Amino acid sequence: MQVTLPSSASSFDRAAERARVQQERRRSAIVDLVVTLSTIALALLVGFLVMLIVGKDPILAYSSLLSGPLSRSHRAGRWIEDATTLIILGLSVAIPFRARQFSLGAQGQMFIAAMIAAVIAIYLPLPPVLAILLPLVAAMLAGFVTGLLPGLIKAYLNANEIVSTLMLNAVIVLLYDFLLTNVFTPPGAQSLRSELIQPNSMLLRLSAIFGINLGRANLAVVMVAVLVLAVWVLLSRTPLGYEIRIIGANEKFARYGGINTQRTIALSFAIGGAIAAVAGVHLVLGVHQRLIPAIAAGLGFEGIVVALLARNNPLLIPITGLFYSYLRVGGDIMEQEAAVGAEIVQVIQAVIILLLTAQVLVNYAKSRHRLMRST
Amino acid sequence: MSTHAPHPTSPSATDSAAAPLVEMRGITKIYPNGVLANHEVTFAVRAGEIHALVGENGAGKSTLMKILYGMERPSAGQIFLRGKPTTIHSPHEAITQGIGMVHQNFMLVPSFTIAENIVLGTEPSRGAFVDRRAAIAAAAQLAQQYGLSVDPEARVDVVPVGMRQRVEILKALYRGADVLILDEPTAVLTPQETHELFTAIQRLIQVGKTVIFISHKLHEVMEISDRISVMRDARLVGTLDKHEANERLLAKMMVGREVFLNIEKTPAQRGPLVLKVRNLEYATETGVEVLKGVSLSVYAGEILGIAGVEGNGQTELVEVIAGLRTPLSGVIELNGKSIAGLTPRQVRQAGVAHIPEDRLTNGVALTASIQENLIVDRYTREPFTRGGLMRPAAIARNSEALIEAYAIRAPDGSLPVGALSGGNMQKVVVARELSSQPKLLIAAQPTRGVDIGATEFMHEQLVRARNAGVAILLVSADLSEVMSLSDRLAVMHAGRIVALFPSTEGLTEEEVGLYMLGTKTMSQSEIESHW
Repeated sequence: MQVTLPSSASSFDRAAERARVQQERRRSAIVDLVVTLSTIALALLVGFLVMLIVGKDPILAYSSLLSGPLSRSHRAGRWIEDATTLIILGLSVAIPFRARQFSLGAQGQMFIAAMIAAVIAIYLPLPPVLAILLPLVAAMLAGFVTGLLPGLIKAYLNANEIVSTLMLNAVIVLLYDFLLTNVFTPPGAQSLRSELIQPNSMLLRLSAIFGINLGRANLAVVMVAVLVLAVWVLLSRTPLGYEIRIIGANEKFARYGGINTQRTIALSFAIGGAIAAVAGVHLVLGVHQRLIPAIAAGLGFEGIVVALLARNNPLLIPITGLFYSYLRVGGDIMEQEAAVGAEIVQVIQAVIILLLTAQVLVNYAKSRHRLMRST
Repeated sequence: MSTHAPHPTSPSATDSAAAPLVEMRGITKIYPNGVLANHEVTFAVRAGEIHALVGENGAGKSTLMKILYGMERPSAGQIFLRGKPTTIHSPHEAITQGIGMVHQNFMLVPSFTIAENIVLGTEPSRGAFVDRRAAIAAAAQLAQQYGLSVDPEARVDVVPVGMRQRVEILKALYRGADVLILDEPTAVLTPQETHELFTAIQRLIQVGKTVIFISHKLHEVMEISDRISVMRDARLVGTLDKHEANERLLAKMMVGREVFLNIEKTPAQRGPLVLKVRNLEYATETGVEVLKGVSLSVYAGEILGIAGVEGNGQTELVEVIAGLRTPLSGVIELNGKSIAGLTPRQVRQAGVAHIPEDRLTNGVALTASIQENLIVDRYTREPFTRGGLMRPAAIARNSEALIEAYAIRAPDGSLPVGALSGGNMQKVVVARELSSQPKLLIAAQPTRGVDIGATEFMHEQLVRARNAGVAILLVSADLSEVMSLSDRLAVMHAGRIVALFPSTEGLTEEEVGLYMLGTKTMSQSEIESHW
């Protein structure tokens, strides 16, 4: 269709504008990187000052925080193990977050998954491979359903998802405690814990592969790689991912355009649940090889931090997950080696996360401002 | 004065002996991102006048006023107040120098009362506390003095838009503004509220205030202003006295070429019946009956206009047909097949395109890319999705083609729609809806909030689609628009079609107005005879 244009429009130099936009993008990517690195430096400086104030030796403390996870191979193993869980959880929450649904259900989904996987892996004798796949698939299904439930309530009844997922978490965690105490712990056991899972169900430890002590880190790292790719494909290359992103950008527009917003919202919760379940499976089949009390306590919320730092970008989540678990493991080591209290460790971690999230928010506000001004 | 050789007003050119109250001389503004928003603009406002500043979106009028109000610093140029050079570095400095501004998006605290909002920042106090009673008294007294009726004790979030705007004006007056800048004040108002606003502005002038009125609605400008300055492409192209100006001349100055405000169209080549609506009823969730038995027919190749005061069920009618709301009862058929109660996607797949009323809220996702915005109705189909995966190359090709065909000013399809100007966002909506090859196009308030160039574009596109055999249902609160575009015209009042004219030939706005207000109603048999 040919249209007569206002004279001003014909003066629009598309090629030049495009070059300008690309240059602007490159520039802002560099600025982002520099700002992020200086934020981390600033946070470390603040932590340094805190340490001085409480009278600890900040140099010793910092050298264990920053080099601790790499100082011995089993510590590196702890880092890998922790990062595996956090990256999977980050991917899990990123999906509902992209649809602008604040599902906080990862915690409960992990516990459900741990139980289901453990029941199969302890009690059902299975051949190799299947002994891993069956618990995995069953747990993912359970996670899917556990996510779907608050998703449906949100999508069709518009009940606040923050409340419903948190409540559901409480129910599931208590159920887990109850079953662990009364069902899974064998009679006469010394402590609260289930039997070990069957050897066929155990994920191969990396120590066994590389011949060095990498602690409990295990083959779940392969699942991480697969999941990162899968979540990226889902969000960036499938119609469902498009629907999720458009709903996150403007739900009214999505509905107007013909997207079934209710179905998509419910699915975003459910898929997030299925992925969180993989983290639960990792804990049971890979890390602990049995059920223990509070097997995943607090982890679900760490996953949110990982996703937020990565701005829900599945390709950045491995980086932020590795970064954040490095801090967590380094903090533990600092606690042991420099006799810094766990509280101080948490203060330093909190300062870093606070500054980084603040930076994410500032960037978000700035990009909005830029958009507004150019209209 | 001639528009071909516009000469900016300068002190030497001003005939009045006194220096202008406000003068901005040689103002240039380049934003950090390289956008030239003002180029050597010289703009003068005399004391006691209503001075309109007109121009298309992006012409630089808002930037110029932000500079005057201290929100932006000019890259070059000088501001004079009462003949003396001055600098204004912040809104606070502007206010102390007697300049107040009412923004398009109100800057009020929604949970505060009107009185609290008016005194905010300079609250009367008793000890450490705000003296609420004094605040209410001050607000009431001010409202009385300027004839701007507000309820000082009401919370801002519960009062209508028109009153919020009066609060903004009072806020500026409370701070001692002598010069009031009103940024597109009528954009959010109903015709009645606009009328009230104009009365209030006249009263402000009588008590010695000066008003700068930013707008792109030319009939309003002609109605209210004493002088009119026109901006185009960051430059001030001229300042006219009202008696020198007319809408056509102003439009030409704004756009830079002859503009066809009158729509040229050939007689309709009416085809078969496309949309048939009979006895359509709809009630909101709270049980309010909004559509009380609406019936209408739209044929291929014609534009059926629906005139009416807003809020008489037009919005709901459009959304029910588009599948966004579920009707209680009634028939909606497209080419003989029922589409009542289908989902929005099914309705679209049946051949209905929809340019929504609130385009920037419903018609686009601002943070999503142009490419993504252009496929929302077709992403599941080939070539955009194949084998369950979306194909970025096909999506990009679609967007390139539409950017080209509809002359959307976008450097790159991967940019967020929010980075475009308002007029180009509209084009994204129109491009998507028209390129879906619809049988029926529903256009709701297609030119609301749109400047002249974009209005002309929209009208051309509608007529073009009609000539190509699309059935068009046009809903507009702009009576002159709906009367000049429509082949047949229906009038809606209180959830009913109260009149249906087989042609707009010889019809006057006054006549249609009587039906719009509900004072006249056509008999059912007469309406049916025009179905």
